[in-house]
Amino acid sequence: MSADPKLQQVAAAVCADRGLVLGAEVGTGAFKHTFEVRLPNGSARALKLYRKAGADARTQREVDAIKRCSHPGIVRFESIEVWRDGAADYIYSIEEFLDGGTLTQRMSAGLMSPQVIRQLAASLADAIAHIAGLGLVHRDIKPDNIMFRIADHSPVIVDFGLVRDLQQTSLTNTWVPHGPGTPFFAPPEQLNNEKHMIDWRADQFALGVAMTVCGIGRHPYALVGINPHQVVDRVARRESPAPEFVAWATSNGLDPLVKMVAPWPIQRYRTPQQLVDALQSPGAP
Amino acid sequence: MSAFHQMGHDSRNLLGSVPGYAGAIISPVNDIEADVTEFVAQHASDAFEFIFDPQLYFPRRGDRGHLATWTYFPRDFETADLTSDAWWSDALTELAHTAARVGAAKVCSPALIASAMLTNDYYDAMRARSETLVEIAGGPGLGVLQTVIVRLADLATPNRALEIASIVSNTRAVGIYLVMLSDIRPRDELRDVDQLKGAMRLIHSLETAGLPVLVGCSSSDLLLWKAAGASSCATGKFANLRRFTEGRFNEADDGGRQMAYWFEESLLAFLRGSDIPRVQAHGFVAAGTNPFAATILAQLATDPARAWVALGWRKYMHWFADMEARLSAGIVRPRDLVRAAESNWQMLEQDDVFMEERSNDGTWLRSWLRAIVEFSRP
Repeated sequence: MSADPKLQQVAAAVCADRGLVLGAEVGTGAFKHTFEVRLPNGSARALKLYRKAGADARTQREVDAIKRCSHPGIVRFESIEVWRDGAADYIYSIEEFLDGGTLTQRMSAGLMSPQVIRQLAASLADAIAHIAGLGLVHRDIKPDNIMFRIADHSPVIVDFGLVRDLQQTSLTNTWVPHGPGTPFFAPPEQLNNEKHMIDWRADQFALGVAMTVCGIGRHPYALVGINPHQVVDRVARRESPAPEFVAWATSNGLDPLVKMVAPWPIQRYRTPQQLVDALQSPGAP
Repeated sequence: MSAFHQMGHDSRNLLGSVPGYAGAIISPVNDIEADVTEFVAQHASDAFEFIFDPQLYFPRRGDRGHLATWTYFPRDFETADLTSDAWWSDALTELAHTAARVGAAKVCSPALIASAMLTNDYYDAMRARSETLVEIAGGPGLGVLQTVIVRLADLATPNRALEIASIVSNTRAVGIYLVMLSDIRPRDELRDVDQLKGAMRLIHSLETAGLPVLVGCSSSDLLLWKAAGASSCATGKFANLRRFTEGRFNEADDGGRQMAYWFEESLLAFLRGSDIPRVQAHGFVAAGTNPFAATILAQLATDPARAWVALGWRKYMHWFADMEARLSAGIVRPRDLVRAAESNWQMLEQDDVFMEERSNDGTWLRSWLRAIVEFSRP
């Protein structure tokens, strides 16, 4: 990854000002760039630098959301500042640096066992429950946004760039055909931009899809022989999950996944606690 | 798993006189605060709770009975910006205080009845009001029921029930107070299969998601709602005549309010006094364990000219609570009851026995049977 030279320059200036050592750029999003930096004592942190054009209401919501979160399954936030470069203002944040890679990287090593999936899902569900308890919806739960701490291999949810605060006015217009999010992991209500139905159960759906991909290498709605676009279309039309997925989940003690990816929010777990309980209790429906 | 008394005009005398009810839904349209406070103090107990329905359904309706005398009733209800969060915050605070003051255990969230279609925007807004009330009512220690008003005709649209359930279920309310709007005439029974199936799907999906549903203003159709899994159903003495229509708060001018009706379980129908001897001759109409039925039959035998309207209400309400209990306990099944009733109606027709009211012919039971059998199918 190579940063915009201007952003690289701003990142270097921020580090010089704060006594940090600038490392490599480790992530690029639509609105921000992430660099690995080192504190004077050598410990690593993530420096997130928001581009000027992206430093809008959505950026502010991301920052506000992370500041409100306090859970081991959510990236730890340390500070946020504004950096003035001439006439331009840049927002930057210092966060925990996650050194265990992404779930996407772990998936490249092969399919995961039902036991590992259940443990992973239970940990992440607990984090999602925390997010939901704050009235927030992450809206972009996917393997790229699930990282790990190398010390204890615990999963951590990152990137609140698409977070929605249910107490605030939506930033997405209703005439947009689909809402923000990564289509492959998004639930029908997000794909169809049905804003009134988007709540924490959208994150539940995305987690269910991500866990299924970890277990069988394909989307729960994927019928044999169809491509990812057709899969997303099936989800948007609220067709039924693939029978092969249902059979795999129910025969491996992962029945909660079937409920998590149900087409309508009302058919999923209604409260975060119900989801957590189901995933933490083997044999629970 | 309980029956509630849906209070209406002049119905406080029924409190405590009909057994089997777990509580009553207060009607501020029909009673002033002082009277409500008095009868709640007299009847409330661990086994009998009062639910406060603010009945803020119609901002522009002129005839509101006693509603405008209540302190929570917003003086600017007709002119206020009803989309204003600040306005609602004040109104809901006053409502929570009033409900607590009269001794209610639960309060229903206000839900307006819009003349236009009840859209997703509408349901989201009503849900938001309910969430605000949950925050406010927590102080006085009141449970909140989210009022969900549905037009039965709307529920005939495929998946509309799941759509509504998905929106309203994002709630911290302890349950749903479901009010179904229809345009049926007095004395008619619900009979549109698709509407009934939609209503049953709505109830079933909410209950399956862990949200107890209290179906307001129900009648013998409680069989359908219990078949769908409703935790509780409410009825009142006028449920033999009217469901919840938009004209509910207008005085009925059909002249039928003072007429006595006998509810006959074996036909699942309300019979007029003149119908009773006709069906009695065919083995129907028995008192069973209903004490009010026994009193009515005894009175008809000795003093047939004497009025029994009030006894008829009590007999019906006794049946309702008893049926609710039998259904909840699994002693009887809705499908079996409807099948048996339909069969009885066929027998009466074969014997040329016809009721006084032309529409009272049992034909709605075929729709009910279909709804019970088909509602859970995709």
